[in-house]
Amino acid sequence: MTVQTRLRAISRSNSFGLFVAILVFVAAFHLLANGFTSKVNVYSITRSIGIDGVIGLAMMTVLVTGGLNLALGAIGVCSAMGVGWALQTLGLPIWFSMLLGVLLGTALGAINGLIVVTTRLHSFVVTLATMSIFFGTMVLLSGSNGFNELPHSLTGFGRMRLFGMVSPLLLVMFVVAAVLFFIYRYTAFGREMLAAGANPFAAKLSGLPVERLFVSCHALCGGIGAIAGMMASLRNGAIVPSMAGPLGADWLLPAFLAPVLGGTLLAGGGISVLGAVLGTVFIAVISSGLYMLQLGEFWIQTALGLVLLGAILLERGRAALALARSTRR
Amino acid sequence: MSDAFVEVRGASKAFVGVQALDNVSLSVGRGQIHALLGENGAGKSTLIKILTGVHRPDAGEVLLEGTPRHFRAPRESIAAGIGVVHQERNLITRFSVAENITLEDPPTKFGLFDEAAAVVSTRKWLDLLHLDIDPRTIVSRLSVAQVQLVEIAKALSLESRFLLLDEPTSSLTPHETGTLFEVLRRLAADGVSILFVSHKLEEVLSLCTHVTVLRDGRNACESQSLAGMTRADIVRLMIGREEAMFAAPATSVRLATPALELVSVATSLGHRDVSLQAFHGEIFGLYGLIGAGRSELARAIMGAAKITGGELRIEGTPTRIRDVTDAVRRYGIGYVSEDRKGEGLILAHDIASNIAVTIWHRISRFLGFVSDGMQDRVAAPLARALDVRTPSLAQRVGNLSGGNQQKVSVAKWLAASSKILIIDEPTVGIDVRSKAYLHDLILRLSRDGAAVIVISSDMPELVALADRIGVMKDFRLVETFDNSRNYGASSARIMQAIHG
Amino acid sequence: MRKFLRTDWLGLAVLIVLGGAALGIARPEFLTPYSIDVILVGFSLTVVVALGQGIIIAIGHMNLALGAIGCLVAVAFGGSMQFWGFPTWAAVLFGLAIGLACGFVNGWLTHKSGLTSFIVTLATLSIFKGASLGITEAQSFDGISDAVKAFGSDRWGPLPETLLVAVPIVIATWLFLGKMIPGRQMLAYGGNPAAAELSGISRGRIVILAHTLSGLFAAIAGMMTVARLQIATPTIGDEWLIASFAAPVIGGAVLSGGHLPVIGTCLGVLVIALINQALVLLAVDPFYVQVLLGLLILAAVGANRLREARLGTGPKLRLS
Repeated sequence: MTVQTRLRAISRSNSFGLFVAILVFVAAFHLLANGFTSKVNVYSITRSIGIDGVIGLAMMTVLVTGGLNLALGAIGVCSAMGVGWALQTLGLPIWFSMLLGVLLGTALGAINGLIVVTTRLHSFVVTLATMSIFFGTMVLLSGSNGFNELPHSLTGFGRMRLFGMVSPLLLVMFVVAAVLFFIYRYTAFGREMLAAGANPFAAKLSGLPVERLFVSCHALCGGIGAIAGMMASLRNGAIVPSMAGPLGADWLLPAFLAPVLGGTLLAGGGISVLGAVLGTVFIAVISSGLYMLQLGEFWIQTALGLVLLGAILLERGRAALALARSTRR
Repeated sequence: MSDAFVEVRGASKAFVGVQALDNVSLSVGRGQIHALLGENGAGKSTLIKILTGVHRPDAGEVLLEGTPRHFRAPRESIAAGIGVVHQERNLITRFSVAENITLEDPPTKFGLFDEAAAVVSTRKWLDLLHLDIDPRTIVSRLSVAQVQLVEIAKALSLESRFLLLDEPTSSLTPHETGTLFEVLRRLAADGVSILFVSHKLEEVLSLCTHVTVLRDGRNACESQSLAGMTRADIVRLMIGREEAMFAAPATSVRLATPALELVSVATSLGHRDVSLQAFHGEIFGLYGLIGAGRSELARAIMGAAKITGGELRIEGTPTRIRDVTDAVRRYGIGYVSEDRKGEGLILAHDIASNIAVTIWHRISRFLGFVSDGMQDRVAAPLARALDVRTPSLAQRVGNLSGGNQQKVSVAKWLAASSKILIIDEPTVGIDVRSKAYLHDLILRLSRDGAAVIVISSDMPELVALADRIGVMKDFRLVETFDNSRNYGASSARIMQAIHG
Repeated sequence: MRKFLRTDWLGLAVLIVLGGAALGIARPEFLTPYSIDVILVGFSLTVVVALGQGIIIAIGHMNLALGAIGCLVAVAFGGSMQFWGFPTWAAVLFGLAIGLACGFVNGWLTHKSGLTSFIVTLATLSIFKGASLGITEAQSFDGISDAVKAFGSDRWGPLPETLLVAVPIVIATWLFLGKMIPGRQMLAYGGNPAAAELSGISRGRIVILAHTLSGLFAAIAGMMTVARLQIATPTIGDEWLIASFAAPVIGGAVLSGGHLPVIGTCLGVLVIALINQALVLLAVDPFYVQVLLGLLILAAVGANRLREARLGTGPKLRLS
C-alpha cells in the first residue's frame, strides 16, 4: 500500500505491454530472420542488454529528479579510463581498481549534482558543460591513448558464455536492477528521492533534505555509469576513449530509450525498474532482428528514433491521464 | 440597463471527481457593473475560465448579445470583444509597458513594430488611470501596484464592450482604487458591461449594481439587483448561513514560556520588527491582506528564508534554524502550505507516502529499510483518526477531494508529532462540512498541547478560532490582541489596524 | 535594463579585443590575412548554427536535432547534385525544403504531443542521423558543383564569401526578434507562455514557427559546410551541439526563454572562433577547446543568473 504498489499499478499495463511486444517480436524474428535465435546471436543480444540496461538504469536515477544527465557517457568513459590507468599503469589489484572506478564515477556525478543544486540551473545546461569538461580533461590526461593490456581474468569474464549463449554482463545488469529496485522500494533513502523528485517544494516543506537528495541521485547515476563504462570495456576487450562516441554522446539514445519505454516519468518522481529492463530487452531484440533482416546498421538508428517517438506519444497519453487524475482546475 | 450583453446559461463543468460548476447562469446587461461573488472554491474561477475560453463547459452555453459562442482558446474570446484582467500576474516581465499593453494588437510600420506609436497609445491608457510611468519602462522594474494598474490599462486598451476584472484591486491603495472605480463608472455609462470579481464586499457594494453569488458550484443568487441588499445579505448568500460560526471555547491554560517566540525579527524577505508569541495549547491567528507577508513569515520560521535580525526562540531558547529539515526534524515545527497542490502534497503519490514522508528516516531500520507495512502502521491510524475518506491508503492523493487532501496535509505533521504547527489558509477551497471538521481538528490539536498558528484571510474563521489575533501589514505585525470571539468587535479592531 | 545589456555586451567585446590583442602580440601570425580568414569562415558557419539554436532557446525550447538536420540537408544537397544532376539553385532549394520540413516535424510533434522538445528532438536526431548515414552508407559525396565549391573558397575583397550569407542572416534575425510581430510574439511566449496565450498568441503557431526556422538555419549551415569542405559527408553537424548552446548562452541568452541577444550571440560565436584559432596557433591539444567551452558555458550561465537576480527577472523560486 505505498508508492511502489502505485508505481507498479501504473507500470503494470506498460510493462505487460512491453513484455507481450517482446514475445511477438522474438517470435517474428525467429520465423523471418535466419539465425536470430542462434547461440551466437542470443549471446550478442544478452551482452547488449547487459550494457544498455545498466546505461538506462543509470539515467533513470537522474530522471527521478525531473532532470537528466547528458554527461553520462563521458562519466562512463572517464571512469573506465580511470580503471585502466589503475590496472595497467599503477598495477593495482582488479577489485581495487574497479572500486576506484566506481568512486570516480560517483564523484563526477556528485559534481554535476552539486552544480545543479547550488546554481539552480537546469541539469541540461550543467551536464552539457560538464560533458565537455569531463571528456576533454580525460582525453588531455590520457593523450587519447587507451588501455589494451587488461588482465586475462577480466577479458575472460567479458568473453564468458554461460550455457553457451548468455553473457555474464546480463547478470551484472540484473544485480544493478535488483539493488535499485530494493533502494526505491524498501529504503527511506529511495522513497525520499522519489518524493523529492515528484514535488521538490512539498518534499522540502516536509523536511526532506531535497538538495542533498538531488546530489545523491546524480552521484548514484555517476556510480552506475562507471559500472556501464567498465562493462563496455569488457565487451571491447580494451578501454578506449572513443568507446562511447564523441563526448560519450552515443550513450544518450539507449540511456533515454529504455527508461522512457519502461514508463519512467520525465517529469520526475515516477520510475519503473522492471520497465527500464524490459525497455532495454525490447530495443536489443528490435536492433538485432532488424540487423539480421539485413536492414543496414544505420537505418536501425532511424528505427530506434521512431520507436522512441512512438513511446513518447504513448507516454504522452499516460501523462495526460495522470494529469487529469491529479489536477482539478 | 437594457438586454443582456453577456449571458451564461446553465453552465456545468466537472473535473475528474469534482463538479466545479453545476447549472450556473449569469446575465450581464449592457452598461451594467455586475459583481460575481463566492468563497474560494465556489466555482468563480471556473466560470471565468469558461468566459475567457480557457475551459469549455460540459453543458450549457455562453451567449454574446444573444448569440451562442463557443470559445476554444483565449484569443477567440479576445477577438469576440472580451477584455480580461486576470488574477494571476500576466505580463511579460522582460517587455516594456508599451509592448505589453499592445501585445494583442501591436502597431506596425512597414511590417515592423512601431515603438513610437505603441508609446503614444499606451500613454493614453496610463493617463486614464493616473499612472505616471514611462511606457518604455521594463515591467520587471515596476512595483506590484503598478503592475496591477498596467494590467488594467492593458484590458482597457482593447476597448472591449465587456470587461472582466478578477480581483483587480488586491494590491491597490484606496486612492488608486477610487481612480479605477471612476474609470469603470464612466465606461459603464458609455455602455460597456463590466463583471467585477472581488472578495472586498465594501467595494462591491459601492461600485456594482447587480450581483451573482456562487456557492459550491451553484447559483446562490443569479443576476440580482444589489439595491436594498446589505453586507449581511450577501454574506448569507455566500456561506449559506449567518456569518456567526461556532466559537471555540477560550483556552484555559497558558504556560509561562511560549513554544515559539519572535523578538523584533527581520527577514531577507523584507519583514521588519516582527514580535509574536505562540503558546502551547493556544491558537494564534494571523490576519492580513494578500501581500502583507504572512506566508513569507511562515517560511522564515521554517528556515526557508533567512532571519536577518532579532531573535527566534523555541521553548525560550534562542535558536538558529538552518533549513527546513532542521525546523522539521530538530525543532518539531510543521507547516501546512496554502498551496496544497503546488507545495503541500505529492499528488502523484499515495496517501500512506504523503503521511509518512516526514518520518521515513525515523521509522527505517538497518540500512534505511522501510517496507510498505511499516509505513502503513504509522499512516493507517492517523488516516482513521482524521476521518480521511478513502477506500485504501494506496489511493493517489491527487484523486482525493480538497477536504480529504487537507486532512492528509495535517496528518503528516501529526505523524511527525510536531509541537508547533503553522497552518496557512486551512479551509481554502474546501466544502462546508470538511471545513467544520477541520476547525474542530485544529482546536483539538491546540488543546492537546500543540502551539498552532493559523494564517487566514477568512475573518469570520479567524475570529471564531483564534485565542489571540495578530494583524500584519506591509511585512510588519501592526497589532496583536486577545480575541473576544465577538465578531463585530474583533473585525472592527482588525480593520482599524489595517486601514488605520 | 538597456544600460545593463549594453554593459554586458561591452564586457564581452572588451574581452574579445583584449584576447585578440594579446594573441596578436604573442603570436604575430594571428593577424595575418590567412588567420583572420580562418576565423571569419569559422564565424560564418557557427553563427548560423548558433542562431538556429538561439531561435529555439528564445521560446524556451531546445533542438538537439540541429546537427542531424544539417547533416541530412548536406547529404541531400550533395546527393541531389551528384546523382540526380540537380543544378546548384535546385539543389539549394531542395536542401532548404528538407531543412524546413524537418524543423516543421520537430515543431509539430512538440506542439501536438505536449512533451518537452528535448525528448522529441532526441528521437528525431536519431531518425535524421540514421537516415543520413543510411543514404550515404557512411561515405562522402563529392559531386559538388563548381559554383558551390567556389562559394566555399572564394573571397569577396578581403572577406570570405560565406560571410555574405552569414551577415544578412544575423541582421534578419535581429530584425525579426527585435522588430517584427511574429518575433516579438515568440519572445513574449518564451518569457511567459501562459500570459502570452491569454493575450491571444497561439502556442501552436509560435512553437512550429520557431522549430521550422531552426530547421531552415540548420539547412543553411549544413550547405555552407558542404561548400567549405567541398564534399558532403555524413559527419557534418556532429560537433554543432555544444557550440550551438555555448554561443547564445555566452552572449547572455536565457535558456528558460524570452531573451535572445543577437549581437551577444555573435560575440559568443566570435569568442569560440578566437579560442579555436588561438589553440591552433599555440599548438595545444584541441580537447582544450572542449574543456574551455564547458567552463565558459558554466561561467556564462552563472553570470546570467546573477544578472537575472539583479534585474529581478529570474524565475520565481518559491523556496529559500
